[in-house]
Amino acid sequence: MRATSRLLFWQYGVFLLVLGLVLVPLSFLILGSFSTARLPTDFSLETMGWVNYLKVYTDPETYALLGNTVIYVAGSALLGISLAVTLAWLVERTNMPGKVWIYAGVPMTLAVPGMLQAMAWVLLLSPRIGLINKSLQNLLDLDQPPINIYSLGGMVFLEGLRLVPTAFLMLVPLMRSMDPTLEEAAAVSGARPFSATRKITLRLLAPGLVAVMIYQLMTALEVFEIPGILGLPAGIYVFSTKIYAIIRSATFMPVYGQANALAMVYLLIAVVTTYFYARMISRVEKYTIITGKGYRPRQFDLEGWRYPAVAFVFLYLFLAILLPFLVFAYASFLSYLQTPSLEAMKSMTLKNYRFLAQYGEAGDALKNTILMVVMTATATVLLSFFVSLVVVRSKFWGRKLLDQLAFVPHAIPGIVLGIAFFWVFLKIDFLPIYGTVWAISIGFTVSFLSYGSRAMNASLLQIHKELEEAAYVSGARPWRTLWRVFLPLMLPTFVGVWIWVVLHAVRIAGLPLILYEGPRNQVLSILIWNMWDQGYVPAVAAIGTLLMLTLLLLTLAVRYIGFRRQFVQSPTV
Amino acid sequence: MIKIRNLHVHYQTDQGSVHAVRGIDLEVQQGQFHTLLGPSGCGKTTTLRSVAGLEIPDQGEIFISDDLVFSTSPEIIVPPYKRDIGMVFQSYAIWPHLNVFENVAFPLREMKPRLSQPEIHKKVTAALTLVQLDGLAGRPAPFLSGGQQQRLALARALVKEPRVLLLDEPLSNLDAKLREETRFELRELVKRLKITTLYVTHDQLEALTMSDVVTVMDQGRMVQSGTPIEIYQTPQERFVANFVGSTNFIEGQVQRTGTGPTQFGEVKTASGHLRCILPDGTTPGTNVVLVVRPEDIAIVSDTSIQQENLLRAKVEAVIFMGDALECQLSVGNQRLRTKLHPSSSLRQGQHVTLHLPRERCRALQRP
Repeated sequence: MRATSRLLFWQYGVFLLVLGLVLVPLSFLILGSFSTARLPTDFSLETMGWVNYLKVYTDPETYALLGNTVIYVAGSALLGISLAVTLAWLVERTNMPGKVWIYAGVPMTLAVPGMLQAMAWVLLLSPRIGLINKSLQNLLDLDQPPINIYSLGGMVFLEGLRLVPTAFLMLVPLMRSMDPTLEEAAAVSGARPFSATRKITLRLLAPGLVAVMIYQLMTALEVFEIPGILGLPAGIYVFSTKIYAIIRSATFMPVYGQANALAMVYLLIAVVTTYFYARMISRVEKYTIITGKGYRPRQFDLEGWRYPAVAFVFLYLFLAILLPFLVFAYASFLSYLQTPSLEAMKSMTLKNYRFLAQYGEAGDALKNTILMVVMTATATVLLSFFVSLVVVRSKFWGRKLLDQLAFVPHAIPGIVLGIAFFWVFLKIDFLPIYGTVWAISIGFTVSFLSYGSRAMNASLLQIHKELEEAAYVSGARPWRTLWRVFLPLMLPTFVGVWIWVVLHAVRIAGLPLILYEGPRNQVLSILIWNMWDQGYVPAVAAIGTLLMLTLLLLTLAVRYIGFRRQFVQSPTV
Repeated sequence: MIKIRNLHVHYQTDQGSVHAVRGIDLEVQQGQFHTLLGPSGCGKTTTLRSVAGLEIPDQGEIFISDDLVFSTSPEIIVPPYKRDIGMVFQSYAIWPHLNVFENVAFPLREMKPRLSQPEIHKKVTAALTLVQLDGLAGRPAPFLSGGQQQRLALARALVKEPRVLLLDEPLSNLDAKLREETRFELRELVKRLKITTLYVTHDQLEALTMSDVVTVMDQGRMVQSGTPIEIYQTPQERFVANFVGSTNFIEGQVQRTGTGPTQFGEVKTASGHLRCILPDGTTPGTNVVLVVRPEDIAIVSDTSIQQENLLRAKVEAVIFMGDALECQLSVGNQRLRTKLHPSSSLRQGQHVTLHLPRERCRALQRP
């Protein structure tokens, strides 16, 4: 009606903005892969050809790379999911004591940035300086350090640990929704226990398990920090690190088009996995509808294994969160890394923290990080809110398309998105964006749009239209309704998404590493990366300790808001 | 008072346009409790939402008191917040971020000129007392039971003493026992306040027990309007007879029209000739359907007293329902249901004689 036609303008605005933000970089990525010019700035439609593809896909190194990627991704997903299944089964289906600590502790491991965790493990297991290696050498009188973290095995181990919390959080509801009456129904229908489990329980769990598996494969495939810290020094490449290496090669003139050509296959794999993931998820949702409610699942009695089980769980928590933090804190008080001893304790000093306070680049990086993170989080919240408003609340013709467009970045690995924007910002050189924190902000906003718009969609759907209508008939004008009913109800989601974006924008290193240029434009993740590269280990430890503490506090804040949100939304209908 | 003239509403769905309301004419007198009754999708809620201003109709006029709040020519659309109405939603729409007091105070705080703080406090307390929620003012709204939420929604709708009260299936989310109690409370309350009420429900029992006037709707149209007794006892259409209460239908053809003041005619059915009340304008040969309520069918042992409207029937099933005995009978191919006192001693397979009192048999024309 009249009111809607007036509002169509902003709906078109949102639509075109998202269309541009998603499709322009993708087109540059594709066109760039055919570019025969060396630099993105020289790119023109006349200089196109297959040369990049020929070069990349005739190179035997590419196939070694593919092999590495498969081993790394499959290995870490297998390790991560096995651990997560065990943990989820222990807390949901057994009488293990101390479950509350696990529910609280496992998600906490999400707060530790992958880059810092990898660095912490280098401090423990590097052949040259690793504390564990050195202690073992002394203890067992070995010539060679026993463990080398700079290997595919090290990458699999660490990424496996990193995948546990998300897999755990996805598996817990799955385990919980296994309604025992479904198995009982099979039993009274004449099925023996084994065949009831096989035909009912496993069938019901299968799509969920497969979905978790695909999701974890995707995450491992996209991660840059772990293979970056552990693989690059040893020359072990996977997709994400190879693309980075091509672009940021220090030794020879980079051929940017080759990075794009490589990224295309990487992107294709990611898109295909995302597609299957989305299909699996819709299967899972179909099944959850039919599961029962209001029952207490039977618990498996661990008997004598109860305490070993607890020990296993706490060993995981120790390795995943406590040990990296302790190592960092320890190293941050030393002038150089040494095995713990009385002597080491005596030489403890605050000079690394003093150094940070005086080091100009650290101050710049902190300022840049705060600016970048606040801009990214605010832009993501606003953009995804308006996208959801169109998708959920309007009758705009393109609302389904807009929803899908906003989901597309979900399938694009951060490094690939980085390259895509790298081309865009270099080509539009009339705008001085390339290399600045603005470039990083724009890249991140697009990358987080899929999460943001999903969260906003869910939240908007929860706010029953009648809550606003009740305000209208109570005499509140539209803007008063917005102010007194709609915004207060959306606020927890706004804050939740905002903090989520902050947490992720602070710790992801891949995309900023590609989009920044020059020491004045560094953010913390870049600073840490570069300082680590140059061997400032104690300073990195100091900065990492502070960052971990901050992120831990923010994670606690998210949990608090999570509770608030539940409380606000549960009783509406 | 609410007056609706020739109301038409379309709305858009993903499947296309739906003509939800097709020409409603309605008048709710001052202080009257008026119910719109019908199955889901009949347009009753759309009509109510049009009165509230939450739907914009395509055609028609709506008056609240004597103010024209909607009309197509001249074009007038008064927005909901200027209509001076109170409304209770099916979901109650209690704002979860406000406590009980603030939920009720909300309409008062939106009033112009602004009310003073003590005045708001006084009115909110009065409204909460009215619905027996006094003492819960400080409680966060989500911590209320279903029944309390329903009463809170009512207090919020009544607090500024609106000219009309609109209720959209306010009892359908309560459990059966509570619903029964609330029916009487609600009617008693609005009658005491003498507030004009438009009530929407699909539950015929609610409509019959609470209303002054019931309007039965089907497929966007009004089918019949009248007092609960009229609606139940003299349904004008087969739809009304079927939707309100349970009914026996016996098809037949008019044999003789009645003469004189009593107007009893005679209809030929597959089970024999039956005397009944005929609708106006029937002539011999008109196809009709007889409507008889189960509780009006009696089982007679002594056939010498009654000579007309007797049917021989076989007992097919006897169902004990606590306060009654429902008996399913067959007369030839015709199936009939009757309601008896639970002490009756009927058995399956028994043959009985039924009496259908002629003043309880109503014929409706059928196409």
